[in-house]
Amino acid sequence: MNSLLRFLEKYYFLLLFLILEGFSIWLLVDHNYYQKASFGKLSRGVISVIDNQIRSISNYFHFKQTNIEFMVENVALRNEMEKLKNRLEANKSNLTDSIGSVKYTYSTAKVVNNTINKQNNFITLNVGSNEGIQSEMGVITKDGIVGVVASVTKNFSTVISLLNTNLKVSAKHSRSGTFGSLYWDGVNYRETILSEIPQHVNLTQGDTIVTSGYSTIFPPNIPLGIIEEFELKDGSFYIVKVKLLSDFKRINNVYVIKSHQAAEKNLIEKQNE
Amino acid sequence: MSKQLTRYALTFIALIALQTLILNNIKLGGFINPYVYILFIMLLPFEIPGWLLLTLGFITGLTMDAFSGTLGMHSSATLFVAFIRPLILSNISTHESTDKKGSPALNMKDIGWFIKYTFFIVIAHHFVLFYLETFSFAHFFTTLLRVMLSSVFTALFILLSQFFLIRNQSN
Repeated sequence: MNSLLRFLEKYYFLLLFLILEGFSIWLLVDHNYYQKASFGKLSRGVISVIDNQIRSISNYFHFKQTNIEFMVENVALRNEMEKLKNRLEANKSNLTDSIGSVKYTYSTAKVVNNTINKQNNFITLNVGSNEGIQSEMGVITKDGIVGVVASVTKNFSTVISLLNTNLKVSAKHSRSGTFGSLYWDGVNYRETILSEIPQHVNLTQGDTIVTSGYSTIFPPNIPLGIIEEFELKDGSFYIVKVKLLSDFKRINNVYVIKSHQAAEKNLIEKQNE
Repeated sequence: MSKQLTRYALTFIALIALQTLILNNIKLGGFINPYVYILFIMLLPFEIPGWLLLTLGFITGLTMDAFSGTLGMHSSATLFVAFIRPLILSNISTHESTDKKGSPALNMKDIGWFIKYTFFIVIAHHFVLFYLETFSFAHFFTTLLRVMLSSVFTALFILLSQFFLIRNQSN
């Protein structure tokens, strides 16, 4: 007993270190993404309020740029609307109930905090459960996807950024329709990696990569980026470097997507497991 | 004693606020993120008992984790620094500094000593932190580059802040 006490007295510094370090590593390894995001919800809520104030000042300096972006997008949307109107006129005879078939609705949000220089980046938005935001909703800009909502407080929500090495998004090569998974390798914030594209697919530089729509989080055919370079890995699959269309350093206004069929689709897919 | 306690509490709050509100928003080339909050561990007094040093290291890290949504990452790295601090102090101490009392701050007579101290502490912290963040050796050299670049910025920031403090005190 005495020698045990002497041992503890001699080595307690090392032992205490090992215990606490073990606990830290356990916290780091044994928790999934959503748990980690909701830890510190409170503290980040406070930070978000402050960030929101700072951001509302700095917004004034970006008004011109934002306005131009909105104008360009508006024109594109108007054109799209006209095109659809024409098509609608042409098909009027065989229309069915169109209200029941809305799959996604969009709402706007502003970015109040954003990082790009970590391996696991997060974005904070100024909307929360008061605005009907839930976790696992998709977030996009006009230039592609931004991420997936991780946790929600009353007035704010955190988004797992596409620039987060733990997020994988289902994407496809637009021309051939082959799908793979898109993820960030943590190196360059303008580039992501598309993997699992089989060898026989004919890829060229500059091809567009879009979302596949297989998950219910994002609608299909949202442009993500263009192919920068590609190489065969292990002889059967391509590793494709995709240059992102959106500049994550400058995202400001985003759209949050609510999928109306997610619950139903997940239910039927669960039955197969 | 209680005066010293208040001073450390204020330092702690100031450093955490500086880190989370300002420094975490600096995005230099998507590569560099200085972590200056580690200065708190550096400034703790020489004669602090070991258990308190480790506990404070852990709490500092956990607070940073709470503010950045990274459970366990900052606490592991900061705890590690608290652990090796006595080792670094005893290895780089000169004859004058071995019997020092108070906090290991910069003094004009021995600038080299403080630079060495900052350098070792910051490298150790950033090394653990960035490799835990990547959690693999897949991009070994990219991560190493991030460690080095961020270390330089953190060290510069710490040294500059200490120089300013000293100048203000002497005036």
